[in-house]
Amino acid sequence: MLTKQELLDPLARVRTDEVVITSMGVVRPWGRLSDSDLDFASADSAMGHTADLALGVAMAQPSRRVICLNGDGGMLMSLGTLATIVESGVDNLILFVIVNRTYEITGNQPVPGAMALDFAAMARAAGFAKVHHFDEADAYESALDGILHDKLKGPTFVSVSVAPESEGPISRSASEDARYLQTSLYDWSRRFKKALIESS
Amino acid sequence: MPPHRGPLARTLVDELERQGVSHVVGIPDNASAALFRLLAEPVSIELLTVTREGEAFAVASGLWLGGAKPLVLIQNTGLLESGDALRGTAVRMGVPLVCLVTYRGYAKLPPNQSDGVMTRADVDSVAVVTEPTLDAWRVPYELYRSDADISRVQRAFERANELSRPVALLLTQALC
Repeated sequence: MLTKQELLDPLARVRTDEVVITSMGVVRPWGRLSDSDLDFASADSAMGHTADLALGVAMAQPSRRVICLNGDGGMLMSLGTLATIVESGVDNLILFVIVNRTYEITGNQPVPGAMALDFAAMARAAGFAKVHHFDEADAYESALDGILHDKLKGPTFVSVSVAPESEGPISRSASEDARYLQTSLYDWSRRFKKALIESS
Repeated sequence: MPPHRGPLARTLVDELERQGVSHVVGIPDNASAALFRLLAEPVSIELLTVTREGEAFAVASGLWLGGAKPLVLIQNTGLLESGDALRGTAVRMGVPLVCLVTYRGYAKLPPNQSDGVMTRADVDSVAVVTEPTLDAWRVPYELYRSDADISRVQRAFERANELSRPVALLLTQALC
């Protein structure tokens, strides 16, 4: 099992101009590592709708790689999105599901089926072209650059077992460390959109 | 007397193309089936069918973030299902999004909606709560009853842009 730091530090090192869309327990930690206008926090938003939001960005920007860092609780809320992603035909979306088996933001209550669920198997069954699972930090880190720059066609799914931590409720206010949380979802949406389009 | 006929799907597709719509995201029902059939043919608009209506609002919001011009196409039952996805994505983000919503039960809406209206067998309860729900969610809307209302499509896009938020068009009878 990885720590959140072991998950995010290598990603911050290999990330170049990819869009990164975060959700729940990784919103703040990613925002402490990255200061890019191409980051988007699905926070103060609708839980369970991060992967589908990322799909829309990927469809609109087919030459841009879009990395979605989704939680397992959020993914369970809209498992059908796995089918929609495959149906869409996008090949530039890399969907991570961070499997900590809890609702971390609300105090680490277990998600339904916490110990039995196999997200990688679900993604494979939905038809994802490339599916990876990691529960060991070294293997994850050594594979990451290849996953991000794989030339094979089709969407990519990456499940990573991560130890639960204790990230509390997320706000959008000046008191947050992460720059993308220091403004409203409305304002950040416009900043992100401008940065994405101007850099395309 | 000529047979009763609903608005034409072709008229609507032509207008959506004229408005520069890039993607239609939604789930078909009987009233929108003709439109889905046309969108499956080679047209300039890309069609994405989703698994649940709430997904449509999140995908459409992402499309807008990426510079596209999506339209959501769902039934009013699915609109009710979409509540938090609509609020948390398109509304909260200020996405100027037009949603074409088929208005199941509109023809049988009773003028007098007493307390028992939600359980009456001759009333489709989803129709009773459609417009009040849009009002509660602060989503402006107009009815789309026939081809004569085609100008309402452009008006919906203009209004969505002016307000920076979703606007709905309620399709009161099946497209043909």
